[in-house]
Amino acid sequence: MTSNPKNSGFVLMLIDDSQFDLKINTRIVEYSEIFNKIIPCSSAKKALIYLSENLDKPEKLPQLILLDIQMPEMDGFEFMEHYAQFPTLFRANCRVAMLSSSEDSSDLEKINANPNILMLLKKPLQPTILQQIMADNIS
Amino acid sequence: MSDIKILYVDDEQNNLNSFKAAFRRSYIVFTAISAKEALNVLEQNDIHVIIADQRMPEISGVELFKMIQGQNHLATRMLLTGYTDINTLAEAVNEGHIFRYITKPWNELELDTAIKNGFEFYKAKIELNKKVEELQKTNDDLNRFVYSISHELKAPLASILGVVNLVKLENKNKSETTEEYWNIIENSCLRLDRNLTNMLQYYKNRKLANEKEEINFEELISDLISLHNRATSAQGELTFIKNIQQPVVFYGDKFRIEIILSNLISNAIKYQNPEEVEKKVIINAEINPQEAKFEIKDNGLGISVDAQEKLFTPFFRGDYQKGSGLGLYIAKEALEKMNGTIKMESVAGKGTNFIITIPNSNQTIINTMAK
Repeated sequence: MTSNPKNSGFVLMLIDDSQFDLKINTRIVEYSEIFNKIIPCSSAKKALIYLSENLDKPEKLPQLILLDIQMPEMDGFEFMEHYAQFPTLFRANCRVAMLSSSEDSSDLEKINANPNILMLLKKPLQPTILQQIMADNIS
Repeated sequence: MSDIKILYVDDEQNNLNSFKAAFRRSYIVFTAISAKEALNVLEQNDIHVIIADQRMPEISGVELFKMIQGQNHLATRMLLTGYTDINTLAEAVNEGHIFRYITKPWNELELDTAIKNGFEFYKAKIELNKKVEELQKTNDDLNRFVYSISHELKAPLASILGVVNLVKLENKNKSETTEEYWNIIENSCLRLDRNLTNMLQYYKNRKLANEKEEINFEELISDLISLHNRATSAQGELTFIKNIQQPVVFYGDKFRIEIILSNLISNAIKYQNPEEVEKKVIINAEINPQEAKFEIKDNGLGISVDAQEKLFTPFFRGDYQKGSGLGLYIAKEALEKMNGTIKMESVAGKGTNFIITIPNSNQTIINTMAK
């Protein structure tokens, strides 16, 4: 990690339909002191709109997206289908990890088969895991 | 006149005429002079009973029945034979799903009774199909229900655990008693989460068919160790020693094997002795073409002789009351479904050793290929 993480300039996007979890995870991420900015989205659709509108503004784009799987309307895997349509350069700079409260083996298979997804994280979010992901995948 | 629809197939027009004459007042009668024409009639009408002559040029009666077998025709099939060729009949009954055969020349009363019975058989089949469909639907609903319930229960639990994490991060200077309370909340939530996982495993183990896929045990066991080690508070104090010998390819039911190893590793971690200075879990695996043999050993609390007897009964929780009482029961059930075995040696205060064997399904593949 950088010696002064608060100035890392890293942006994180959280996508979760539960306002409760969105709030808890925002706080946990704040404690990890890795990200300067957190973009909370209460639906996958809102997240897609934000990303499409800011595709040409790299400073507004996240380096990491934490994506809930089970959501009404558009679930995490449907979001990933849209994500796959984004430019390669964008995808290289904005990685996705999925979040779920259960470890369903069929979810795990889908996640392992999708090269755009880094991994599955079990809720609740652990600050140490975030540090590890950033250190391993995002320079 | 009843609304029973009958199709009579015969290559002789005279026979068709006399059949029609005999039965057209009692039933709705369709006739066909060849198997080809019969197929046409079947396509356009919802036929309940088919009576076909065996001896016809081009396509015989048995061949006709074989042709329609895979096509969802529920019509009851009856074969007319002018001669008692036992081989043809045996073949017909075995392969064509034939309800009964009638010898030629037919007797009107006998044929009428046969038609009525044939129609009853048709109705029973329809009824059975309906029931099967209903059961399938109920089953699918139940599956969906179980999966969504388990998620609906786990999601709020994860939220609570998230809040506990936050409290721990925010109150660095809290009192010791408060810390103890928060730890109790956390451990209870974790236990409830584990119980839910176990219930779902139990449910799936009862329902799923055996699947065969290639398994790399080095990978699987490493994954399981890091998964369980992450969840334990004894993290760091515990040494894992694994020795996995897999010189051959292993095929087996990955889902069930994962359940078994996962439960045993989780137990080995859960029942560590707090007094022990060098806490250890040793996992040995030896895979040969016939079977995989595992040994999961710990130097933990051990199991008392009394508890050992009841260890594999559902909802039995041993001396320390830590789990759901389902883990070992599920492991044993899963092993039984795969024809595996489980043995346990334990001394209270010294530790526990589980030895399990699981047949290598790769062996059966080689055997079948050799034949």
